[in-house]
Amino acid sequence: MQRGCPSAPADPGRHSYSVAGLSLSSELELPGLIGTAPVSAPDVVICQRPVLPVIEDAAAVGPTWQIAGDRFWLRIPGIARFLLTGGREIAVEVEGGTSADEVAPFLVGTVFGILLHQRNHIALHASAVEVNGKAVLFCGASGAGKSTISAALTGRGYPLIADDLCGITLAGTPMAHPDGRLLRLWEQTIEGLGLGASRGAPVRRRLQKYYVEPGNWATSGLPIGAVYALREARPPRLPGIERPNAIDAALLLRRNAYRPMLVARTGQRAEYFKAAAVIAGSAAGVFYLTWPLDFAAIPDVLGWLEDHWAEIGLRGRAT
Amino acid sequence: MSTVWLASYPKSGNTWLRVLIANLNPPGNLPIDINNLPVNQSLASAREPFDDFLLIDSGLLTHEEIDCLRPGLHEDLARRELDGSDDGVHFAKVHDAYTLSPQGEPLLAGARGAARAIVIVRDPRDIALSLANHRGTAVEGAIAFLNDAKAEFSGECDGLPRQLRQRLLSWSQHVASWLEQRDIPTHLVRYEDLTADTARVFGDALSFAGVPATGDAIERAVRFSAFALLQQQEREAGFCEAPRPFQGGVFFRRGRAGGWRDELGPGQVARIEAEHAMMMGRLGYRPASVRKDALRGAAA
Repeated sequence: MQRGCPSAPADPGRHSYSVAGLSLSSELELPGLIGTAPVSAPDVVICQRPVLPVIEDAAAVGPTWQIAGDRFWLRIPGIARFLLTGGREIAVEVEGGTSADEVAPFLVGTVFGILLHQRNHIALHASAVEVNGKAVLFCGASGAGKSTISAALTGRGYPLIADDLCGITLAGTPMAHPDGRLLRLWEQTIEGLGLGASRGAPVRRRLQKYYVEPGNWATSGLPIGAVYALREARPPRLPGIERPNAIDAALLLRRNAYRPMLVARTGQRAEYFKAAAVIAGSAAGVFYLTWPLDFAAIPDVLGWLEDHWAEIGLRGRAT
Repeated sequence: MSTVWLASYPKSGNTWLRVLIANLNPPGNLPIDINNLPVNQSLASAREPFDDFLLIDSGLLTHEEIDCLRPGLHEDLARRELDGSDDGVHFAKVHDAYTLSPQGEPLLAGARGAARAIVIVRDPRDIALSLANHRGTAVEGAIAFLNDAKAEFSGECDGLPRQLRQRLLSWSQHVASWLEQRDIPTHLVRYEDLTADTARVFGDALSFAGVPATGDAIERAVRFSAFALLQQQEREAGFCEAPRPFQGGVFFRRGRAGGWRDELGPGQVARIEAEHAMMMGRLGYRPASVRKDALRGAAA
């Protein structure tokens, strides 16, 4: 059995963050996450430890991952190996000559997404902004415009809740929790939205993708006001906002899980179905937002959204 | 299901073959909706399966890092099809040339990625016209693309293309890469033959793929996939795989072989033939500019 992380994260050299409603104490500095004050008993501990090339007794094996009991092993070749245990610990071994800051975007993205699945949390591939104290989520496949639309809305003064990974809880009112990180935008998006002045460091040195600090961000979970699934406006789909039929609405969250394959593997389908039913049946709603994936359309899209928020009672026009 | 690649250079009839396959068992005995092709078809360069099955965000990787991981992905996807309950055939469209990953493995995982490949080819002079229409560029630009050994789709580095980067190589290199690889058996379909005798050529391709089909089913699929019907569907409802509106053209444009004769200029024809003469000869596409060269040669 591999050694896990030490249980006492009291070192002063540790970094503290809050992601998807969980407190995090990390040996690695995680650029792109917004730092928080340390807590005495963090929910998740991240440490640098040797991670073996395979795990013992793997019950399931994929091209880049293995699962055994409460352990989840992931390898990103040439970058790092990760061992997640019980949804509480993440051990990281950096591979080759990769620097630790190159590992950080994977850790706070895909690895943390797996951890949320491991904890049986609902994790959506979604960005989100705050509108009048409510969370408005944008989910969809990579490239559907999640970050672009949220970045454009933060430009209008709506605080950012999440850039790519949105944790949902259902105790009482459905709540969305901040992913605690900066926007990550491609050069094309930065130019398309005129955000050049806010361009921060590159997410990885080899990528033309940069951190961009939103003007304002939410620091705690908020009740969900609406969920939009983003789709490209290509025939026969026309641009605009519409409510999906009941079957599509029920399946919408599961299809937009952070990693749908893990939902199936961890037997969480019913949870996502229930979450979709609760959100669709509450004062909030689940909608399609179909747009032409063209920066020129962004002002129109923001206009549709603000009109729609007035229509569904969010009335969130920023002042 | 076993996986069979539908491999072609772009604009060579891949979509038409997919529509024909989909029309083998059309629901309600009506022509299949081109915007709703069935689930036993997929796309090798789709981004979602990469992110979902490898659990890695492809948007954080360079194109080369993605290529290193693609053999493992295609092997995994093919195994999932084999392990499924259905023992039919899964068709996967692919425009990538048959290349090796940076580590020297077949990008598409060789025999572990698919059991067979149907390779569809088309006269590059017709492709030039179709490609220009599809990409909203001048024919000259399309010819330069056909001749470019570094041609690729979705290769941008300053944004996130919807699909994974696909290295196409030049047209000749693309066709050669598929026909000369020895990892998986191939069956060659010429677009021109598919146009001239659709039922026979389609039936042969199905036999190769291991899909049983009666003569009646093939005849119905051919009827339901008639080019005029596809054009009508695109005119009435649009086609989700058509070029984006700002790029211009329709997807189902002319659907016939030899259109280049009245649409390409002699200089354009010569530029294509000069670059691709050998592969064109191998596939039976007779050059039009040879006689002039031969005369020049004789006079010299």
